[in-house]
Amino acid sequence: MKLSVALLFTTLAFAAEEAPEVRLDAKHQQLFKETCVSCHGPDKQKGKFRIDQLSLKVDTVETAERWQKVLNQINSGEMPPEDKKQPSAAAKTELLDDLSNMMVAARKKLGDQNGVITMRRLNRREYRNSLRELLGVEINVSELPPDGGSSGFDTVGANLFISANQIDQYQQLGREALEEGFAWQLSAPVQKKLHYEGETITPTVRAFIKYQIDAQERAIKWKAAVEAAIAKPENATIVALLKKETNNNASRLRREWARIPGAPNPRDFGFDKKGENDADLANDSLSAGWLKYHQYYAGMPDVERGAYLGTQTRHPAELNLNYIEILVPYDWPVGEYIVRVRTAAVKDAPKERRFLDFGIHARTAKVMATREISGTIENPQVVEFPLTLTRGNATSRDNRLVYLREKGSWDDNDEGGRKRSEAVKRNGVGPELALWVDWVEIERIPNSAKPKPPGFIALNLPLDDKAPAPTTPELRSALERFATEAFRGTKPPATYLDRLLAFYDVRRKAGDKPTAALKETLALVLSSPMFIYLAEPAPDNKKRTLNDQELAVRLSYFLWSAPPDATLRELAQKGELSKPDVLAAQTERLLADPRSKGFLQPFTNQWLGMDRFDFFEVNRALYPRFDTGTKVAAKGEVHETIAHVMRTNASLRDLLKSDYVVINRILAHYYGIEGVKSDDYEKIKLPEGSPRGGLLGMAAIHFMGGNGERTSPVERGAWVLRKLLHDAPPPAPANIPALTRLAGKALQTKERLRAHQEDPQCANCHRKIDPIGFGLENFDAAGQWRTTDSIMALDAAGKPDKKSLKTWTIDSAAALYKGPAFKDYYGLRDIVASKSDAFARGFSEALIEYALGRPIGFRDQPLIDTMVSQGARKDLAFREFIHSLIASPEFHTK
Amino acid sequence: MSLPQTRRHFLRSSSALVALPVLASLGFQRFASAAPVPTPPKRLIFLGFGWGITTESWFPDVKQPGKDYTIPAGLAPLARHKADFSVIQGLWNKYSNDGHWGSTMWLSGANRFAEAGQTFHNSISADQVAAEQLGLSTRFTSLQLNGAENGEASGHGPGLSMAWNASGKPIAGENGPVAAYHRLFAKDNTPIAEQKAMLAQRRSVLDTFVENARDLRRNLSKNDTQKLDEYFQGIREIEVRLSKDEQWLGVPQPKTDLPEPPPGLAGREEIKIMYDIMIAAMRTDSTRVMTYRQPVSTLLTSIGVKVAPHDMSHYHSTMGEKLEASQRRDLAQSELLAGFIDKLKSTKESDGSCLFDHVALAYGSNIRTEHNLDNCPTLVTGRAAGLKLGHNIIAPKDTPLCNAWLAMLRGVGVKAERHGDSSGELTQMVA
Repeated sequence: MKLSVALLFTTLAFAAEEAPEVRLDAKHQQLFKETCVSCHGPDKQKGKFRIDQLSLKVDTVETAERWQKVLNQINSGEMPPEDKKQPSAAAKTELLDDLSNMMVAARKKLGDQNGVITMRRLNRREYRNSLRELLGVEINVSELPPDGGSSGFDTVGANLFISANQIDQYQQLGREALEEGFAWQLSAPVQKKLHYEGETITPTVRAFIKYQIDAQERAIKWKAAVEAAIAKPENATIVALLKKETNNNASRLRREWARIPGAPNPRDFGFDKKGENDADLANDSLSAGWLKYHQYYAGMPDVERGAYLGTQTRHPAELNLNYIEILVPYDWPVGEYIVRVRTAAVKDAPKERRFLDFGIHARTAKVMATREISGTIENPQVVEFPLTLTRGNATSRDNRLVYLREKGSWDDNDEGGRKRSEAVKRNGVGPELALWVDWVEIERIPNSAKPKPPGFIALNLPLDDKAPAPTTPELRSALERFATEAFRGTKPPATYLDRLLAFYDVRRKAGDKPTAALKETLALVLSSPMFIYLAEPAPDNKKRTLNDQELAVRLSYFLWSAPPDATLRELAQKGELSKPDVLAAQTERLLADPRSKGFLQPFTNQWLGMDRFDFFEVNRALYPRFDTGTKVAAKGEVHETIAHVMRTNASLRDLLKSDYVVINRILAHYYGIEGVKSDDYEKIKLPEGSPRGGLLGMAAIHFMGGNGERTSPVERGAWVLRKLLHDAPPPAPANIPALTRLAGKALQTKERLRAHQEDPQCANCHRKIDPIGFGLENFDAAGQWRTTDSIMALDAAGKPDKKSLKTWTIDSAAALYKGPAFKDYYGLRDIVASKSDAFARGFSEALIEYALGRPIGFRDQPLIDTMVSQGARKDLAFREFIHSLIASPEFHTK
Repeated sequence: MSLPQTRRHFLRSSSALVALPVLASLGFQRFASAAPVPTPPKRLIFLGFGWGITTESWFPDVKQPGKDYTIPAGLAPLARHKADFSVIQGLWNKYSNDGHWGSTMWLSGANRFAEAGQTFHNSISADQVAAEQLGLSTRFTSLQLNGAENGEASGHGPGLSMAWNASGKPIAGENGPVAAYHRLFAKDNTPIAEQKAMLAQRRSVLDTFVENARDLRRNLSKNDTQKLDEYFQGIREIEVRLSKDEQWLGVPQPKTDLPEPPPGLAGREEIKIMYDIMIAAMRTDSTRVMTYRQPVSTLLTSIGVKVAPHDMSHYHSTMGEKLEASQRRDLAQSELLAGFIDKLKSTKESDGSCLFDHVALAYGSNIRTEHNLDNCPTLVTGRAAGLKLGHNIIAPKDTPLCNAWLAMLRGVGVKAERHGDSSGELTQMVA
């Protein structure tokens, strides 16, 4: 591909972009004069403060603090005091608008790092990926403290701290990764396979039915005998007392059989609850719970050839018709597995029930993958689920129990129970059986054919103690090769190797076998500063051009969040990487590599603020279709769409509005869109007039713009301003008096939010935010299209008052503040789509911050301009932005 | 045989124990048989909850200052201790502007924007000021405890615990009761010679890291050198720990009758156990300075509240279930605190007094509710610092929280001129 290289290295001197002056518009002095100066001016200086002498130009932290205080006082309603002259609402709104935006600009200016990139340590995910690339295994790093937090991306060095505990943790994690890596290497050739026939369960079901019928008969006899004893006149006194004790509950009364003369022992009727009260078992058997459902199951055709996936009826240890669960034998090693299922949907199963969930440990319902099932019992299909087992899976039985279950049939007890009782209401039995499994196979795939991870190639020592221990010179050069690989090509100093060797000796003398001592020693390498930090020396504090090796590191951590591979390192070694055409080609190669997921996913999560997605659970009573599998798929849509745009180098505009979606079968069903063929996400052309297509059409985005129960027009409006329109509202100010006037009233959303327009403190931001939120009200809190909404007021006890139920047709017409009006969602979407330059600008800023690991500064304006204008020349093609950033002097400069 | 990887591997989870010597005197008197009963040491504790409280029902009526105030609904579970705690109203950190940061600057009063050219700045937290002086003679200089969940979900804001060191960098904490218990009571049965060998080995590991860091530092820019200083600071902290370990070598490991907490505790159960662990830490005089960044998000789940925590703090807009959630949270937190005070009172010291006599404890958040950062909820208890207890104290509006921290620091005998943005000691809270 061709790339414009005009900008490259013409000079390293940055355009002399002066930070713009931050100044409050002098027009506000009128307001100060009228309402502030009498107390804070030449005559009086209440609180030792004069506003007339406070500089309108903000260029020091001190001045900024004073204006912050002014802003706080007005926001909190303290100034001007209630009994003093008040400014007009309009003038006050304007002042608050300007002042809060001025404070944002001032903080930016005063906090500007002047383009200095602070050295950073690997963040949590880069650390994990670096170990993965080196040793071929992925370990759980969640015990490391979360990165960043104070603002910005998790690549910003200034925000990445290190603590004493962390230094210890790196050593432990390094050790863990080595144990895992050694185990993978040693078990590489192992092949294992087990086969489970679905019909294994059938005799168990039949036996259970037989038992239930028999136990019920016995229980009825026992009950009659106890009741006869209760009815005896001579027992009246004790029975009266027991009735009182048991609250007149018949089954609890029977529980007290031992105190009723003549009442028989349930044990004599064959009820033995192993040390607990036998009467509980007898009482329970009376109802023979779910017997009808069990008989329905046993009466299904093809139970001799397979198993159906039904609902939960009894404790799974008694009888489990809800899922198939298989333990991967403990002696099977770590590695890559495939779980194969020959399965089918029952002939009349409704479409939405033809999905199979796969995961580990059914009780916690962690869904790892969901597949739509199109096979029939006559002609079943075989689906395959890949599975990676690590040493972590060996720690408990729960972590090795693979399960298969109908999607969403029992995500939790509330939800499963709700579905089950709905079915009973419908048919008197329980949920109709929809999925059938012929057999399940679990197979370990030998990975000896896979290339060895570079860390092990470099090490090149025996990995077990069958071979003799390495000699000191062998060990020394092995450690040197390994450390060089770990340190991304930088050779460790000789003294460092001396220390490692000395440490190895200490461990050996203390009794460690050679490989144990070796792992301990290598763990030190993986927790040494040269591994943890991405350093770019800058002697004399001067800006300088990166050398090719450093460029390779910067490039691969940008596009992979992982260390450079052999190809990149070789090109760097030869000094070719920095050649514009080579660099552009490598950029393409890295983006095409699956590892680019390491860039796209975390970047998207942070750029679009996706962390909110996991903040709350959806209310399943209101949104039963947004089950766990759908939720996972909805989040996937965001990532898969952006991956598609990147892969096909499509325009950023597609993220604002497009005539296609990238969805899988679950979402296709959720959205009511036809055409997905495979089990993966696919690009599907949308029918005319679909609200889907682009970020604003995605369920995930609307789910985040609510709380799982109701929509939040404010959250949505602010998100659109921040992420799509590059017009972020100032952060929500502290200490604003709360709006409580409307609490407890059943008001339409628009009426409720209109209150924001009353007080200047709210109006100055909400007049921009709220209208956008109104335009998105046709999407409910789970991202489905709706035309009406309703609300109930809460009564004095805080419970919804059904009498107050108010339903209305959604009116999504509104107008952007000082901008065009729109009559519905489609109108709003068109307006947003027309502002693609603003979107491109926000995207460029996010890319710069993420890639360079520092906040955006004023000096970045020319770079941002270049990225946007170069992008515009190619219709805002996604990769164009990445290329122009990578070609920029900033990307090549420490 | 092979060397243990860490001392923690020798954790013994059983609860066998012997009565504990008062370790305060151990430094010099550990072998003296007829040592006089020593005066129990003073301790300082900060308990923080992220998302604040329910303004309307947590604070006592400002019109009832002093002793004769009606216990508000949110503090009702604390009624039995009414004479033994005070609520202070009117305190804040004037530089705080971040509506979701309930703990980041709570104990430091710092201005996030104080440093030109940076977007984040913090300074030393009050507990660490105390630790510098009170932490010298205990096994742990200070102890930072966290909820097992991620602090952001609970409205605590950035930070690795509530503690920030002298350079304003975050100090890591123990996440959850199991980690805290292990840190405090990990049983070490290793023979002393072997322990010494292990310490030496740890030191040689640190030397390896330091040397590698020095090689890395060569030719770094000034800015990056400063960044790498954080690493050296971390190493120094480990070294201090190692020297303490060395100093305590051979001193019997503290024993506690508290069994090892089961893994997976969350919310209310977690807080309860963590309070027990804090009691155990004081009984064994393992440390005298503790902070606990309490979980709020899982607390809600554990008491059956389904409202999302941040939503709850915005109860004003809808009242109803969010308000109810907020008030149930207040009750749960007050109940837990009341239980903690019960235990502080019932735990005897060697001289016959109780722990409560030797503890100064502050309980609160930088967030009142919603994004309100004024009138930060503040409750103080314990008799160690000579505080005025049993009062509804109304400080002048917008008094620096750091004035209260200063009073507490001085009250437990820490020499401090000032702290954070303090303008003087809050004398109103001193008896």
